[in-house]
Amino acid sequence: MTSKAPAAAGLSEFWLTRQYNRLSLKRRRTIIGYVFILPFILGFLLWFLVPALVAAGLTLHKWNLISPPRFVGAFNFNRMLSDPLLAQSLKVTVVFSAISVPLGLVFAFFLANLINTKIRGIAVFRTIYFLPSIVPAVANAILWAWLFNTEFGLINFIIRAFGGPKIGWLQDPSWVMLAFVILTVWGVGGSMIIFLAGLQGIPQIFYEAAEIDGAGRWQRLWHVTLPMMSPIIFFNLVIGFINSFQIFVSALLITNGGPQHATLFLVLYVYRTAFQSQKMGYAAVLSWLLFAILMLLSFIVFRYIGSRVYYENPGD
Amino acid sequence: MSISRREFLKLTGGSATAAAMLSRLGHLHPALAQDMTTITFGGWGGVAEDEGVKAAIEVFMEEHPDIAVEWQHTPSASEYSRVTLTNIAAGTAPDTSFIRSDDYETLATGGVLMDITDLVQNDPLLGQPNYFIEPQESQRCEVNGRWYGIGSTWVAHHIYYNAELFDEAGVTPPGFQDDEIWEWEDFVEICKVLTKDSAGRHPDDAGFDREDIVQWAVDWSTSWWMPLAAAVHSNGGEFITDDGLCGLDSPEALEAMQRVADLVHVHHVAPRSASIESLGMNNTQMINAGRLAMGVDGSWALSWMNPSLLDVAMGTGALPKMAKPASVMQAHFHSILSSTEHPEEAWAWLRFLATPFYQEHFAKIGLWIPNQSAMLTEEGLKGWVREGIHPPNYSQFATDYLPKHGVAAHLPPGWIEARNDYITPAFEAITNGERADAVFPDAVRQANDVLMFAREGM
Repeated sequence: MTSKAPAAAGLSEFWLTRQYNRLSLKRRRTIIGYVFILPFILGFLLWFLVPALVAAGLTLHKWNLISPPRFVGAFNFNRMLSDPLLAQSLKVTVVFSAISVPLGLVFAFFLANLINTKIRGIAVFRTIYFLPSIVPAVANAILWAWLFNTEFGLINFIIRAFGGPKIGWLQDPSWVMLAFVILTVWGVGGSMIIFLAGLQGIPQIFYEAAEIDGAGRWQRLWHVTLPMMSPIIFFNLVIGFINSFQIFVSALLITNGGPQHATLFLVLYVYRTAFQSQKMGYAAVLSWLLFAILMLLSFIVFRYIGSRVYYENPGD
Repeated sequence: MSISRREFLKLTGGSATAAAMLSRLGHLHPALAQDMTTITFGGWGGVAEDEGVKAAIEVFMEEHPDIAVEWQHTPSASEYSRVTLTNIAAGTAPDTSFIRSDDYETLATGGVLMDITDLVQNDPLLGQPNYFIEPQESQRCEVNGRWYGIGSTWVAHHIYYNAELFDEAGVTPPGFQDDEIWEWEDFVEICKVLTKDSAGRHPDDAGFDREDIVQWAVDWSTSWWMPLAAAVHSNGGEFITDDGLCGLDSPEALEAMQRVADLVHVHHVAPRSASIESLGMNNTQMINAGRLAMGVDGSWALSWMNPSLLDVAMGTGALPKMAKPASVMQAHFHSILSSTEHPEEAWAWLRFLATPFYQEHFAKIGLWIPNQSAMLTEEGLKGWVREGIHPPNYSQFATDYLPKHGVAAHLPPGWIEARNDYITPAFEAITNGERADAVFPDAVRQANDVLMFAREGM
């Protein structure tokens, strides 16, 4: 067989029989270990680290995708300092995150408590509340665009049935942010499930002890549930900020940044700058800016909120 | 069955080698099959476009057995620019491609598109004087006096109307002949007759409730450039000036845009939600349901807003005129990319696309209006005008109105950025009731900075 085998098979034969078998067991296990995590490492290198480094190089270049990149030094960074649309996109992104993340957390926590009860058919309620979070982003966008339609949308229909005004949810710059907060909060099923898992992990014994000491419903929530849940709340908070700063699909599909730049979120602005305005260098600067903001924000959250988190098993 | 780890690794190694060899074989296959040149053709479109291109490829390949055309299809037109740019950057651009009208001048001046001026001029068919409807075809194709593509077709805005609502109101609908085109003031008055609240009152009647309108006269979008540009040119303004800058700050342009916006905010004859009509109840559904008398929409909409698909009697007519009749014409281009290694084969395909077979396919379903003069003769019209799709007067839009009143749009380098960053937000502002003269002078100044910067950067 060896004489007819292709060269590649011969090579693998050599590796497997001679060199490989001569290695110590520990080393062989190390190699096998790396082989198994290789898909992730390759994915990380090819789809994250290399593009990020290329983007870092691009920050110093002007590149419109159709002519070769040209070195322009700090030009793109200077542009950032005097770009009114960047200021606008930062403003709307920060406002959106500052409203939607805390609101989403409270809502998800509330829902998790609601569905953490032992009543008949609770699985059905859990499914119902979780379902919105698995609706594909595009379907979600189209659904809400219809619900928010000024003339025929269900939301305005209900508001008007109660004698309210006709609201230009997606046309009026002062209302559109609220529309995005509502449609984001609707999809909190993911963090709700994480909260639910956390709630079910709290030993019943704490509640019993508190009850014996005469703690009421609110005291139990305040002194048992919240401290025990603080790592989960903290996790959802960090992930929530990271996600909300990267809002893109619904903004692209529903309003495309409008009306009057009221939903020009940062990632949408990066996308436009890169692929529509053909300014890859400047888009790279904006991407790194987003990275820096998220790093800084995570640092602040870890520094000032992380220190208040209670870990039952800090060593884990 | 159980196998040892060594056997497993051997097997997987062997399969990987075999797969690699097979994939190489697959790569060689077309060249081995026969002496054939394969060129690629990139484009976008829904099912109809996809089928039309495939049908065209079939006919072309019968005529040219030595050329194979490979269709690289992207469903979304707006995504297609991104796909093309990425392919160009990666060195994997197609040989021939659809090019969006807003990308065309950017790509032409950037050296991405092949100069086909001499090929067009020396072609025995396409080089004939007035093979295309002129001067519009040259106006859109020429960039610094040279051609980098050929227009695929023409599309332009006109009125679609619910004939039953006109009958009911006793109003004669508009047509495409000069004496059938309304003056703007008459149009506004007719709109008031055609608008009703739930108590049957019209906008000028006492007690008219503008929050409770059940029948609107017209839907004319103020959030997109094409229908507004038509109004601007009709009022003697220019959307893009001859020197390639945005002209929306001229008094004529400001007045024209304000007049269209006033249909919603002053006259209450048009619904507010035009900007998202495609996501809610759109103009077609509203016309069909008798809630809208007239929709101003592109000619392509005839492929779904036509007599055979609507439940109500419908018709088409020209936009009302301000100073003169006008509608803005544009469409995507067919171009050869300069990176092609097969320019001759690419040209054979490109010129095939500019002959009647390909255009008739789309004109027949109401999607396109021909840009070839031969298709507008009595004989030529038989090739594409279809009862049930085209209302009785529709051919006049192509034969009379557009050659006389159609304005070919050309969108300069940097236009997409200028539009996204400054012009669209200004459109949205007037849609929300702000005055054109309050938002456009500033927006146009900033947009023109972008356009001038893009021109210098090219």
